[in-house]
Amino acid sequence: MEEQVRRVMADILELDPKSIDTSTSKDNTASWDSLGHINLIVGLEQEFQVYFDVSEIESMVSFSDVLDALERKLQA
Amino acid sequence: MTSSPNASDALRADLTAALGASDWRRAMQLARHLTASQAGMRHVSFVVRTLEKANLPESGLKKLRVALLSSFSIEFLRPHLILQAFLSGIQVDIYVAGFDQFQQEIRNPGSNLYSFAPDVVILAVEGEAWLPEIYSDGPAYAMTGFDEVIRNFANELRNLVAAFRRHSTATLLINNLVVPAQRQLGVLDAQSEFGQRAGVAQANDQLAEVARASAGVFAFDYERVVSYHGAAHWYDQRMSFYASAPVSMSMLPKLASEYLKYFRAVSGLAKKCLVLDLDNTLWGGVIGEDGLSGIALDTTYPGNAFRAFQREIANLQKRGVILAVASKNNLGDVEEVFDKHPHMILKAEHFSAMEVHWKPKSVSLELIARKLNISLEHMVFVDDNPAECAEVSQHLPMVTVIQLPKQPELYVAALHEHGWFDTISLSKEDQRRGDLYKQRDLAETMREQSASLDDFLQGLQMEIVFAPVTASSLARSVQLTQKTNQLNATTLRLNASDITSRMNDSSRWLTAVTVKDRFGDNGIVGLTISRLQSRVMEIELFLLSCRVIGRNVETAMLAHLCDQALRRDASELRGKIVPTAKNIPVRDVFERHGFEKLEELLSGETTWRLDLPGQRVAWPRWIKVRDEEAVATKP
Repeated sequence: MEEQVRRVMADILELDPKSIDTSTSKDNTASWDSLGHINLIVGLEQEFQVYFDVSEIESMVSFSDVLDALERKLQA
Repeated sequence: MTSSPNASDALRADLTAALGASDWRRAMQLARHLTASQAGMRHVSFVVRTLEKANLPESGLKKLRVALLSSFSIEFLRPHLILQAFLSGIQVDIYVAGFDQFQQEIRNPGSNLYSFAPDVVILAVEGEAWLPEIYSDGPAYAMTGFDEVIRNFANELRNLVAAFRRHSTATLLINNLVVPAQRQLGVLDAQSEFGQRAGVAQANDQLAEVARASAGVFAFDYERVVSYHGAAHWYDQRMSFYASAPVSMSMLPKLASEYLKYFRAVSGLAKKCLVLDLDNTLWGGVIGEDGLSGIALDTTYPGNAFRAFQREIANLQKRGVILAVASKNNLGDVEEVFDKHPHMILKAEHFSAMEVHWKPKSVSLELIARKLNISLEHMVFVDDNPAECAEVSQHLPMVTVIQLPKQPELYVAALHEHGWFDTISLSKEDQRRGDLYKQRDLAETMREQSASLDDFLQGLQMEIVFAPVTASSLARSVQLTQKTNQLNATTLRLNASDITSRMNDSSRWLTAVTVKDRFGDNGIVGLTISRLQSRVMEIELFLLSCRVIGRNVETAMLAHLCDQALRRDASELRGKIVPTAKNIPVRDVFERHGFEKLEELLSGETTWRLDLPGQRVAWPRWIKVRDEEAVATKP
């Protein structure tokens, strides 16, 4: 799953997949602005067939947060 | 649905290579593949980013500058417009005005909108932003209506359009308004003169009027788009409140596809010529194998689906689309279908070119292009066969190919999906198109206008054809005896050999009844079988499809039976009712037409008689009758 998330993130935020790691966050990534954030969420929802509530959307502000949120979703 | 990462990686690499090599047609096909099989946002993002890096300005694609003005966050539409425009051969540059800045952008001559110098401007403003009175405060107007509010709206819109025209000659598309899904008056809204539904309808009428009054300004039927896809799917309340992006992200490609119809039209890329395959496209089956009576084309499934498809094609022709045929067939077989098949809606004269032979279809298309002097870019090729579609795509990538789905009932939708032939110019064709819409509404208008049933029937302009059952109507006759339950006097179920033996019996007459009206041909809907025995004509079978019940067709059928009996010098017409659980509607048919009861069996079966010529059933006044039997040669 981690690799798949990396691919979605790389495509939507225009990043090199190899550059994405646990330190990657909204704060230190220029293309991860509010528009990019919505696109990323939608891209993840399509890729993993899930649906995030606004509270979840607001919490997913780093690569690790995204992985955590997805794990919780896919286990539920 | 995600296919293997390797497959999409390979497509991505090919796309990048094709763009690098300036092979634009190949790039379009690859981009279409990648985004069709992988509908996800990430692939759209990838393709758009790759396009932006490529040397598109040198591609020779049509260029179009598009400005988006909106009351909500419309920038999410941007990648979908860029992608789909590219797939249609258009390179768009997009300017997105600031959120809810449309008033200022339009009214200020020095705005970024005007310095962008757009070719097309989309004004996508939600109803809530135009008319909060209707959307948020409906019940406050439940007694007075929205007249004043609508007047103000129309004035505001008129002023806005006038301001726009002072500073720009661009094509302006104005989204019309969508009725809110939840009505503040509840169920009462539907019939209220002053409800939200009524208010939005008024507003949309005004919007269309303002658009009509100004050249190059168009009402964009956003309401239709939303209702077609369904408001429940269209909107994402979460994103509406969280990101001011009310349209669900998964619906944005659909919205982009609607705007593309206009982009193609203003870029001169609307298609002009529809090239059709024949077997399994215009009819079911293969004429060369199945023969004239074996192909599926009539008033029952699947023949009726093919007829519906033909009707839509005929309508495209009426609105100016040029039709051509590209078929691998023997010309003689094809000509026979066009000349002789009673259910062909499309006639040979509808087609401007016919390529019927065994050469590759790409060759046929080139021949058609040359003959009609139409560029291949303006042609749409339709075929059910994936191999033929692939052959054309490969050799002529500039031709738009529609591969039909397996089910003929989906053909019409496949033809219309992208609106390839939609035009926005005011031409004779457009005016004729208006007439077509009028025809479609006629049935409803008439129902409203009919003060009485008699007027309604008269207005139908019905024509009934009585014809002896022949080989070509045999199958339908069998089917009618098997399927008709309600208006069926004896419910005699017959198979093909039962009917054939009756056809060969010189004392029997089998009559197929075809009903046409101003709305079309209903096909064979009735059947009678009568038998002459010593001057008594006995009605052995009398049935009528429920499709035309309530139009007094049965009266005409009885009148015809009287004629038939009199021609054979019979002095009496005799009918029988064999009651079944379902044939209640037919029970009184003889009694209603002046027959007298002769006998009633314990089983409930009744026999009825009519003296001829004295009591003969009169022809209904409003029906035009063609009696092909009267001129037939049978003794």
